[in-house]
Amino acid sequence: MGQFVTEIKSGGGIAVDDTIQVKGYETKAGSRILEGFRPLFSAEAVERLERAGYDIAGKSAVGEFGLDLLGEFAYGAETCDTLRGAAAELVAAGTVKGALCVDLNGTPRRAAALSGVDFLKPTYGTVSRYGVIPCACSGEQIGVAAKTAGGVRELLRVVAGHDPKDGTSLPAETYDYHDGKAAPGMRVGIVKELYGAASDEQKARVTACAERLRGMGVAVDEIALPLADAARTAWNLCLCAETCNNVSRYDGVKFGYRSPDYRNIDELYVNSRTEGLNFLTKFVILYGSDVLSKGRYFTCYDKALKVRRLVAEQVKALFKDYDALLCPACSETEYRPYDIKDAFMTVFAESLFTAVPNLTGIPAMVSGGVQFMADALRDSDLLNLAEALEGGNAS
Amino acid sequence: MKYEAVIGLETHVELATKSKIFCACGGHSTKGEPNTRVCPACAGMPGMLPVTNKRVVELAMRAGILLNCDISRYTTFDKKSYYYPDLPCSYQITQWFHPICRNGSVEVTTKDGTRTIGIKQIHMEEDAGKLVHDDWTETTLVDFNRTSVPLIEIVSKPDFRTADEVMAYLEKLKTMFRFANISECEEGAMRCDVNISIRPEGSEELGVRTEIKNMSSLSSIRRAIQYETARHLDAVERGTETLVQETRRWDDVKGRTFSMRNKETAADYRYFPDPNLMPILIGDDWLQRVRDTMPASVEEKTAEYQSKGLSEKEIASLTSERALCDLFDAVTALGRDPKDTASWILTECGGILRKHGQVMSELQITPERLSRIMEKVSGNEINRAAGRKVLEAVLYEDADPDAYCEAHNLGAQGDADAVRQVVLKVLDATPNAVKDYLGGKKKAFQALFGGCMKELKGNGDPQVIRALLEEELSKR
Amino acid sequence: MMTPEGLTALEQLNELRLTDAERAQTLSIFGDMEAREAALQEIPTDGVEVMVHVMPLTNVLRDDVQKQPFTRESLLEGAPEHTDDSWQVPRLVK
Repeated sequence: MGQFVTEIKSGGGIAVDDTIQVKGYETKAGSRILEGFRPLFSAEAVERLERAGYDIAGKSAVGEFGLDLLGEFAYGAETCDTLRGAAAELVAAGTVKGALCVDLNGTPRRAAALSGVDFLKPTYGTVSRYGVIPCACSGEQIGVAAKTAGGVRELLRVVAGHDPKDGTSLPAETYDYHDGKAAPGMRVGIVKELYGAASDEQKARVTACAERLRGMGVAVDEIALPLADAARTAWNLCLCAETCNNVSRYDGVKFGYRSPDYRNIDELYVNSRTEGLNFLTKFVILYGSDVLSKGRYFTCYDKALKVRRLVAEQVKALFKDYDALLCPACSETEYRPYDIKDAFMTVFAESLFTAVPNLTGIPAMVSGGVQFMADALRDSDLLNLAEALEGGNAS
Repeated sequence: MKYEAVIGLETHVELATKSKIFCACGGHSTKGEPNTRVCPACAGMPGMLPVTNKRVVELAMRAGILLNCDISRYTTFDKKSYYYPDLPCSYQITQWFHPICRNGSVEVTTKDGTRTIGIKQIHMEEDAGKLVHDDWTETTLVDFNRTSVPLIEIVSKPDFRTADEVMAYLEKLKTMFRFANISECEEGAMRCDVNISIRPEGSEELGVRTEIKNMSSLSSIRRAIQYETARHLDAVERGTETLVQETRRWDDVKGRTFSMRNKETAADYRYFPDPNLMPILIGDDWLQRVRDTMPASVEEKTAEYQSKGLSEKEIASLTSERALCDLFDAVTALGRDPKDTASWILTECGGILRKHGQVMSELQITPERLSRIMEKVSGNEINRAAGRKVLEAVLYEDADPDAYCEAHNLGAQGDADAVRQVVLKVLDATPNAVKDYLGGKKKAFQALFGGCMKELKGNGDPQVIRALLEEELSKR
Repeated sequence: MMTPEGLTALEQLNELRLTDAERAQTLSIFGDMEAREAALQEIPTDGVEVMVHVMPLTNVLRDDVQKQPFTRESLLEGAPEHTDDSWQVPRLVK
């Protein structure tokens, strides 16, 4: 099965993205630099699944460190188109019951929208990041993919909850995802800026969804999120800076790939990293390093962190009047191939639709090809909305 | 023109904790075989997340209180990036934007008087690993035991003028920190970066500043300061070279400083707040709790011991080690006389440790056992020499004082009458030696003395034996 | 603006090397991002505090307890080069 980089148990079970550690199984995060790396412990979320009796089906493929659009640029996958959106495809095909994916810059949400499955990036701090190959710790989050909202809810209940090994883990021991508001009576706002930036097909999807919601007694109107564009820039600055720092540990010294070609420590570092990382990761490192540099810290990075607060405040204000926001998860309904040299700006462009939840920690759910966002810890409301829409489908 | 040196210090002190600052591996960098106090995080592996050790924060607060600092109400951790094989993640977690303490001061006393040295800040950070260079294989071996061991860095203001002041400051920090259980301050657990410039006396402007990195022995620090000050003077007064602001390395063998590679010094560390570590808020309650549970300071202990009649020398020795004070306090609390207790700890325990090649800081004895031995001696149950013997057995054989005395038939020998009986017996048994002695052969005394000791199985108090021998001989 | 010299310094600082084509592409993306940064500058943030953490947790601390569950052998197992007790790199200068 092409979408698995490592198969652990065949038939059913849960796929785990290759950016999430499973003890004893090679975890490469799609990168040559981690070739042969076998973690000594499993991610907390994986442990929880196993304790609850779920089988881990295998490691689903991701692009190098999950930085690309859909997983196109995994090491050794240049010729293997099947890796794209691996976890979502496995769920869609019914090969697995569900999947754990790291939402770093919207990849699993885009994949879910394109594959027609559900994915929830829960509120930051509700699912432990212990065992995640780290990139942008301030906003990346393990989420759950499944065929239905009910499937997402079932798995999320298992993996969410306080973990003392993650210092950003929220204190609640467990979450009851049945405690949300009922969909009828909710108020949903279509985010004008994101709706406007999408293709006509995507717009049509959102409009159709809005119509169905109205039909079931949900009030839907258009709202403005003027900082949406700034949120994208701010999140990508944070992502590059933090990723630059986090992947600096891969240097050919302690584990993973070491270039055979070196005479001294400098060559060992440079050659291992040059051969071990792809161009997208290299760009992220260089740009991230630059925005943290002495001359640029305050105009770039510090500025991004201030804008982050403004975005969080703007979003918070919207949730005073609205239960959820509705928008596309990506610009188009069809996938367009692109070259790795254009990868950074391609992902940047698409992250317009996904950046706000990463930047501010709010939950976001993709279902039926559209995206909903809710206030922090209102994940249940998103599940209820999706379930209501799916129930409508079934009848 | 007369010049003065302007010296500032950055002092790294390893904190005395059981575990590391951000993971549960054992603290204390000098313990253990290479890479046995290591976890995936220490080895730079991904997946683990840092969680701050509460004790580290409290020890840093203690240090701040001792150095009269303002303790920050809001303090955070930042990441500092650079590549070196002893830094497994290629970043160090430290405090850049919001250090835990600021604006302190400490008084240092040298033969030239007492001066106040300003403390700019104290911050918490993790240590790096250790590198061992192997000539045989042409490789460098990397040991991560020290990785993430907690440190505080104390940044002084450039207020020192002489190497003597620097020495006095470092000695004072050592005593203070050991005493407050902040650090064991062992060899290598205190490391300094020294900033030096010179200027005409009375001038307010600063000259070109150089920094000498990473020195751990006091004598190296003194010699480096003296060398570097002289180098600056030569450059300024005689134009021997042009000084540049740079980082230098002290070579203890060659006795001089060397400029370090540009790459190591021109680095941009790209500090930024660590998203994995939440801010620490220090409220009045917590700060007060740390103050309340702080061990008494050297000054407080000194005053207390003076009032108990101890000599200056005894006080200095006891207060050199927190553990000695604790032992002294516990033994006197059990009802033993303070002067006597000081003597037993310093003279008797100290003597026995020296005999075994150990130092005072290695002393391990329960207050109850020491008190029991002292009680037996002061109650004339055993004499002092026997007491010493018991003490040695307690220290090195983990013996119980009472059981040991019983097993070795100690108890009566301290009694002067019992010894007198032995003396009389020996004198009667060796009339020739007595005759020789009385005839002027003073050497014969040794034979008589030896006879008594043999009779007492070595447990007699030599002074008592000698006195009784002389007394009984004078009667003959 | 990112210059070729600046980019070389960045490559060195981050211990990696780009091909000439990648360098040209990198400079071009830096140029694209400049416009985005400029737009960010337009947003007034006077008096706004930075937001590092999205959730308002404070004082997340653990007790000072030692645990040593990982063996040296398991940690060294995946090392590219190691001795019985240490990781190994080419001898550092001096």
